[in-house]
Amino acid sequence: MPAATPALPVSDHSRPGWKAWALLAPMVFWLLVFVVIPGIILFVYSFCERDEVGGVIFNFSFDNYRRVFDPVYLRIFARSIGYAGLTTVICVVIGYPVAYYIGRASEELRNRLLLLVMVPFWTSFLIRTYAWITILKQEGMLNSFLAAMNLGIGPFNLLYTPTAVVIGLVYAYLPFMILPIYGSAEKLDNSLIEAAYDLGAGPIRAFSSVIVPLTMPGIAAGTLLVFVPAIGMFAITDLMGGAKVPMIGNVIQNQFLQARDWPFGAALGVIFMLMFALTYVILQRRGSRSTA
Amino acid sequence: MKTLKALLLALSALLGTARLTAADEVNLFGWSEYIPQEVLDGFTSETGIKVNFETYASNEELLSKLVAGGGAYDIVQPSDYTAEVMIRRGMLAPLDPAKLPNLRNIGAQFRSLPHDPQGKFTVPYMTGTVGIVVNTEKVKDPIKGYKDVFKEKFKDRLVVLNDNREIVTWALYSLGLSINDITPASLAKARPVVANWVKLVKVFDSDSPKTALLNGDVDIGVVWSGEAALLWNENKKFHYVLPAEGAHMFVDTLCIPASAKNKDAAHKLIDYIMRPEVSKIISDKFPYTNPNLAARKLLTPEQLANPASYPASNTARTFRDIGTAAADIDKLVTDLKSAQ
Repeated sequence: MPAATPALPVSDHSRPGWKAWALLAPMVFWLLVFVVIPGIILFVYSFCERDEVGGVIFNFSFDNYRRVFDPVYLRIFARSIGYAGLTTVICVVIGYPVAYYIGRASEELRNRLLLLVMVPFWTSFLIRTYAWITILKQEGMLNSFLAAMNLGIGPFNLLYTPTAVVIGLVYAYLPFMILPIYGSAEKLDNSLIEAAYDLGAGPIRAFSSVIVPLTMPGIAAGTLLVFVPAIGMFAITDLMGGAKVPMIGNVIQNQFLQARDWPFGAALGVIFMLMFALTYVILQRRGSRSTA
Repeated sequence: MKTLKALLLALSALLGTARLTAADEVNLFGWSEYIPQEVLDGFTSETGIKVNFETYASNEELLSKLVAGGGAYDIVQPSDYTAEVMIRRGMLAPLDPAKLPNLRNIGAQFRSLPHDPQGKFTVPYMTGTVGIVVNTEKVKDPIKGYKDVFKEKFKDRLVVLNDNREIVTWALYSLGLSINDITPASLAKARPVVANWVKLVKVFDSDSPKTALLNGDVDIGVVWSGEAALLWNENKKFHYVLPAEGAHMFVDTLCIPASAKNKDAAHKLIDYIMRPEVSKIISDKFPYTNPNLAARKLLTPEQLANPASYPASNTARTFRDIGTAAADIDKLVTDLKSAQ
C-alpha cells in the first residue's frame, strides 16, 4: 500500500489498516477472480483470431473491432439501445408513482407492499416469461378474456412482436426501478416539501423543484440497473419476440454458441462494457451536479 | 436429538457416495433432453457403475469445453459434423468392437456415413431430419418443398429453427447448390433467397418450435423431425413432409474422448444403450429415427407409422464440417434479420 506522504496529513481512521484489508479480502478475491481476470481474458481475446474449431489463436489483430463497427452491428447496437431506452422510460413512468407511494406509506403497509414487489423473484425468470407467452399468445388468456367480455376490441396479435418484447422487458426490470426510487423517497424529508408549499409552490412546482431533485439518486440508480441489463437481454427477445430481430445480446450469444467466433464475441463484449462505463459516468456526473 | 440423527444420516450418505472409486464411475457429457434418466439408472443398478451426467445445448458448447481442456469425460454425444472435426483433430479414441457386441443391432446404412466412413470412432445414438410440418386444418395447399412454404401467402404464419446454418442450407437446397461446400459465391446466391424468407417468418425457435404450432400462432414450420413427431402424436392434423429439394439429416453419435479415464466403463454404457429394450425406452420418450433396427422391432405399429420418425423415403444428407465458414453464415443471417 502506498504510504501517506508527510505533506498530506491523514488521520489513522481514514487509512485502511491490515484489519480492514482482511475484512475486505473475500470481496477483493471475488472481484479479482470473477470480474477482473475474466475481464482481462475478454480484452485479450478480443484482439486474437479464431481457428476452425473455435479455439483462440494469439495473433494480434484489430479485425474484430473493425467488424464491430460494420453497419450491420452498429444498427443492432442502436436498436438494442432504443429498446432499452424505451424500457427505462416506461419503467420510470410506471415505477416512480409506485415507489413514491410505498416510500410515503405507513410502515406496516410499506413492508407488505415491498414484499409484493419482490414476490416475482421467488419464481424462476424463465417460468415468468413463459407465463407471459400463455397470456399473450393468439389463443391466450388476454384474447379469450377480451372475447368473453364482448367489448368489441381484439383479438390482438401481440406475441412475437416488438410490443411483446417491450412488455417482457418492462415486466422483468420494473422492480429494479422501484426499489432504488423507494430508497430515496423513503428518506425524503417532509419538512422540505412543507417548506416548498409555505413558500408558495403549487403541487407541480413542489414536485418538479423539490421532490424530483431529492429522489434523483434513486432514479439514476434505477436507470443504471434497468438500462444496462436491458441492452444485453437475449432470452426475452428470443422467447417473446420470436428471435426475429437480433439484439446485441443475441449476436454475442451466437458468436459463442453457433459461429465458433470467440474473439469477435469478446470484442462485442468489450464495447458493451465500455458502454456500461460510459452510462455510469454520465449518470454520476448528473447526480453530483444535482446534489451540488 | 432428532437433528443430530438427521445430521449423522446425511454424513453417512455423503461418505457412502465418496467411497465409490473412479473405477465405478463413468462421466457422460450429452445433449439436454435426449437421454432418459431411467436408462442411466437401469445401467447403474445392473453394473454398479455410477453415471455422472452433464448436459450441453449445442455442439459448439461441447467443442469449446473439450478444446479448453476438459478431459474429465468418458462419453460425449456430438452430432455428425462435430464428430468429424473431433476425429480429424485426434480428440476421439477408436472404439473396441469386441466390447460392443450390440453394435450388430445398428442398421448398416448408419454405420458408414461421411463423418466416420468406417464407423471406427462413433456409434449412432439417434438420427433425424429437418423437414416441414403443416397444420392441415389451416393450410389446404399441397406443401412439397421449401418453395411452397416460403410464400407471401404464409407471411407471419411460419416458425423455423433459430439456426443460421439450417436456414442457409434450405436456401442452398432450393437453389440446387451443395450444402457442404460453402463459398463466397454460393453465399452470394443464397443471400437474396434468405433475405426474402426471413421477412415471412413469425418465430425463430430451435428449442421448442412445436409450441408456436400447438398454440395456433403459426400454421407451418420447418423443424426437427422429433418435434414434428411429438406434434403428430398430439394431433394427427400435423403432417410432416421431407422437402422435395433436399433435406438435412443429422446423426447424433456416442463416442469416447481420447483423454477418457474410464474407457472400459464407457464401452459398457454404450453397449448397454444399444440393447434393443433399452433403445426402445429412448424411442418412447424421444421419437427420433432409431438407427437400432432390433429396437425398431419392439416399437408399436403406431410409433413406426409416425411419418416424422420414419419417413417413407429418406434421401436426406448429413452436414460436414465447414470450419470458419460458420462465421460467414452467421454474419449473413444476422445482417438479413436485422435489415427488416
